[in-house]
Amino acid sequence: MKMAMAWGCLVPTRRSLLGYEAATRKVLETLNIETVDVPNETCCAPFWMQSLDLTTSIAMAARNLAKAEEMGLDLLTPCSGCFHSYKRVNHVLETYPDMRERVDDILRSVGLHYEGKVEARHLVDFLHKDIGADKLKEKSTRDLSSLSIGLRYGCHMLKPHELLNIEYSERPTFADELLDQFGIDSVQYAGRHRCCGGLLRGVQDDVADRVLHERLSDANEAGVDGIVTVCSLCHLQHDMGQRSIKRKFEMDDLDLPVLHFPQLIALGFGYTPEEIGLDLHTIKTDKLVAKIMGGGRR
Amino acid sequence: MEQTDKKGYRGDFPVRDEDVTSSFKYEVADWVGGEGLLRCLKCGACSGGCPVGSVIDYRPRKVLGNVLLGLKDEVLSSDQIWLCAACFTCEERCVQQVNFTDVVTVLRNMASREGNAAPGYIKMAEMVMENGRVTARTGLVDKMREKLGLPPLQDPDVEQLRAIMRAAGLNDVIAANKKGAVSK
Repeated sequence: MKMAMAWGCLVPTRRSLLGYEAATRKVLETLNIETVDVPNETCCAPFWMQSLDLTTSIAMAARNLAKAEEMGLDLLTPCSGCFHSYKRVNHVLETYPDMRERVDDILRSVGLHYEGKVEARHLVDFLHKDIGADKLKEKSTRDLSSLSIGLRYGCHMLKPHELLNIEYSERPTFADELLDQFGIDSVQYAGRHRCCGGLLRGVQDDVADRVLHERLSDANEAGVDGIVTVCSLCHLQHDMGQRSIKRKFEMDDLDLPVLHFPQLIALGFGYTPEEIGLDLHTIKTDKLVAKIMGGGRR
Repeated sequence: MEQTDKKGYRGDFPVRDEDVTSSFKYEVADWVGGEGLLRCLKCGACSGGCPVGSVIDYRPRKVLGNVLLGLKDEVLSSDQIWLCAACFTCEERCVQQVNFTDVVTVLRNMASREGNAAPGYIKMAEMVMENGRVTARTGLVDKMREKLGLPPLQDPDVEQLRAIMRAAGLNDVIAANKKGAVSK
């Protein structure tokens, strides 16, 4: 199986997200999935850009899809924002003929064409549907059953489900099923599926803080060892934003490591924490790593 | 709970015919994604699930109500359309498929053309125009990538992206917001 990879803007360029790319590459390699990066990938123009101008956003996102189409490949991305944006392109082009005409014109003016044949896939859905939980278990070499984690499905991997077509978002289970293969206890708690406020960052910072405060409180009260995210924006919020929430809302006991979903899978596959960038996160992951490694790091 | 909108729920009510643009809802419904608006029953399921509404006094139903009433200027020039975090919970729950998030996108597009976009998003758009990404490349990250065994960072085709943005009209939107000028 071969997929075109769209990494997005944040994943390959932000310190705490580099491990997302590293772990994704290692997991896919272990599972014998061949990948080729979208050539000279550009911004996917996600929701915030759609806010400024939808037509521009659709045309921008179609650029990367057109590149994948030229290669005859479907598009795989670990970023929920990218995933959502690419799914929207096909939907809009299919639903609104006028929009298709307009976007065709724009792309033609830069020498591109997008027919609409590329299917965008989210990494976690791909692992579940195309690889399968059994296969992950087969490759598992490390017991992670000492871990209890708070799994954040986030918003843009699932909602709205008619558009994204993975699982109904109110009580999703597919990603929990994957973690279950490694013995990880994915804890159910109130607020697990609610928004982190990421898209309000830089626009309504105080509101973004308050929403994040609720999410971090939810996870903290659930007593988990850490949080796992499937979205770049969720990670930036929970990991990078955590210290300021701790100060602002005087949450002295707040210290939750925030992992990327494929980092957990890669740990289960036997990769070392350093190989998957666990030392690059803002909130130290040492305690969680120590728990897996039986107290000592290699 | 804080009032985000200082006028409060009943500030300028009752609304009278002469204060509204009665065609506004049809204008909105005419845009891609705005068509669900006219199906709204104002039942409030959107407000019930709103994560922003649980930390501040923000109610999607009120925004929809204002649009349906025709309070065009108030809606397009105020914060109320820029407080949605785009979590799509309301869209998921709405029995009438109003798709509030999509309606908000239409309203934001309209406001942006009038120079009322959220400044933070305009900054991000300029960043994308400059770099092809919403982030800048740094030598430090290049080094970290190398240390992690990641391939060298690709350069985005920024020329092509700029041409797309220009052809689609984003430059005009940015210009309208830089000058604060109205270009309809």
